[in-house]
Amino acid sequence: MKIDLKGLVILAGNYGSGKTEVCINLAVYARDSGQRVRVADLDLVNPYFRTREARKALADLGIELVLPPEKYLNADLPVLSPVIAGMIRSSGDLTLLDVGGDAVGARVLACLFDALQGRGARMLQVVNPYRPYADSVQGCMRMRAEIEKASRMRFAGIVGNANMIGETSADHIYEGYAFVEELSRKTGLELIFITAPADLLPGIDLARFSCPVLPIRRQLVPPWKRPEIFRSGSK
Amino acid sequence: MGKVLMKGNEAIAEAAVRAGCLNYFAYPITPQSEIAEYLSRRLPEVGGVFLQGESEVAVGYMIFGASGCGQRVFTSTSSPGFSLMSEAVSYITGAECPAVFVNIVRGGPGLGGILPSQADYFQAVKGGGHGDYHLLVMAPDGVQEAVEMMMMAFPLAEKYRNPVLILGDGLIGQMMEPVEFPENLRSEPTNKDDWASNGMATRNSDTPNLVKSLFLDPRALNDHNLKLKAKYERMMREDLRYEAYNADTDYQALIVSFGTMSRVCRTAIDALKRQGIEVGMIRPQTLFPFPEKAIHEAAIRPSCKVVLSIELNMGQMLEDVQRAVLGERPVHWHGNAGGDIPSPEDIMDLVKSFL
Repeated sequence: MKIDLKGLVILAGNYGSGKTEVCINLAVYARDSGQRVRVADLDLVNPYFRTREARKALADLGIELVLPPEKYLNADLPVLSPVIAGMIRSSGDLTLLDVGGDAVGARVLACLFDALQGRGARMLQVVNPYRPYADSVQGCMRMRAEIEKASRMRFAGIVGNANMIGETSADHIYEGYAFVEELSRKTGLELIFITAPADLLPGIDLARFSCPVLPIRRQLVPPWKRPEIFRSGSK
Repeated sequence: MGKVLMKGNEAIAEAAVRAGCLNYFAYPITPQSEIAEYLSRRLPEVGGVFLQGESEVAVGYMIFGASGCGQRVFTSTSSPGFSLMSEAVSYITGAECPAVFVNIVRGGPGLGGILPSQADYFQAVKGGGHGDYHLLVMAPDGVQEAVEMMMMAFPLAEKYRNPVLILGDGLIGQMMEPVEFPENLRSEPTNKDDWASNGMATRNSDTPNLVKSLFLDPRALNDHNLKLKAKYERMMREDLRYEAYNADTDYQALIVSFGTMSRVCRTAIDALKRQGIEVGMIRPQTLFPFPEKAIHEAAIRPSCKVVLSIELNMGQMLEDVQRAVLGERPVHWHGNAGGDIPSPEDIMDLVKSFL
């Protein structure tokens, strides 16, 4: 099963749900499928571990990344590049918008409301049930409502990103799938894909899932670890 | 309960709640604002008090007030904010009140930057405020240890009737790791009846409970300071913490490093070992009291040629390492104070340059 996303895709969700890691890996996946991919870092609330940390890896793979001006990259200021509105208006094959966590992080989308009108943007809720306040269906529905209100947009689907970073096991993937599957049933939101660490994938029974699986190669790592290498053509 | 994936800041906040602290007063500042964000939601769920003060100066005295009434209380801030709180910290220490402070350090001096730093080492262990005092300072190297130190901090503050400071560089607050909250570290606030302000209850007794740091009689003030000094010596005997890593080998170099920086050193030590080079490390978990005896003994091992103090500042812990080594071995500093954390490769090259 392939992930088939085109046009403008917005990744939002709970703080720390893994939107940025999903965004970077989804960009590489789509690039490997031959799509022209662009990514915009709209995280105005998180001071560390943002898409901008992977700018070299993305550039090496031919993925265009839109960031605030270089001199403001390490400022805790809500700098929104004017380039982004233009990028939304002329989207290529796939344009990914990585927004900050919770309602406060999604508020930036309301600023782009006019630019987003009529563009067919799909906003996806990234869910990691091993995070605080995301471990119940009610918690995820509450977050959905708060983000929809702040962003002036509606969610169009769910991304299951169950993980414990370096301690993720196959059981976390299966349990996490069961959780987002139930969330999808109760909310009527389509389950677009789930994720799994690339090195765990060979041992995972994909037949248990009704949706595609995005392999994750971790890029946002602390300085004593190395980001995993993307091999061109790898899925 | 199983593990949860948490950011350091969130984990510190939850650990305080699990430790039985229901009072948190703070003023937000990057890179630790998630502590306030999390507790603004969490404390009302458990009947606690979340209050955003009008400034860090105000927050410092709110902590003094609550502590003086015998309540478990804590605050969190980052470097410039802790400078503003330092006056109150001195008063709280002088009045012998327990309280817990968290400083998630950013680059300095002044506004500096928002990236990780350990440049508040001097401020944390040598004072910051005025007068002869020390804080019990703990420095976690990851999210799980931050949880455990946070849960230990409250009973320790009460044991000594002295503030405890958790010193983490920005990365400790911002990184995510799976954590659990050890049940055995839950504790109840200890009895404050013999010292905390209790209104009319002891007003007419010969020894009313007074919360104060004013001693106008010179002998009384000197006695008070001797009493505080005895407490700091007791901390050294009873609550010194450090970790020795790869220290049972015939290492040629000894690293002293704490917090995030020690995680990088650990990776470098493992990689050097694979190349046939042994390096030992002493990681202070308490910065005050400082593990000077352990460092001295590790440094004078016959195989050890050099001691390296590796820190995210311009060489502050270096002075304590030099004091511990007492000239028995050359001691060198390596570090960065801009926010770029040296890589394991940088540390490997550094070690090799001395061998």
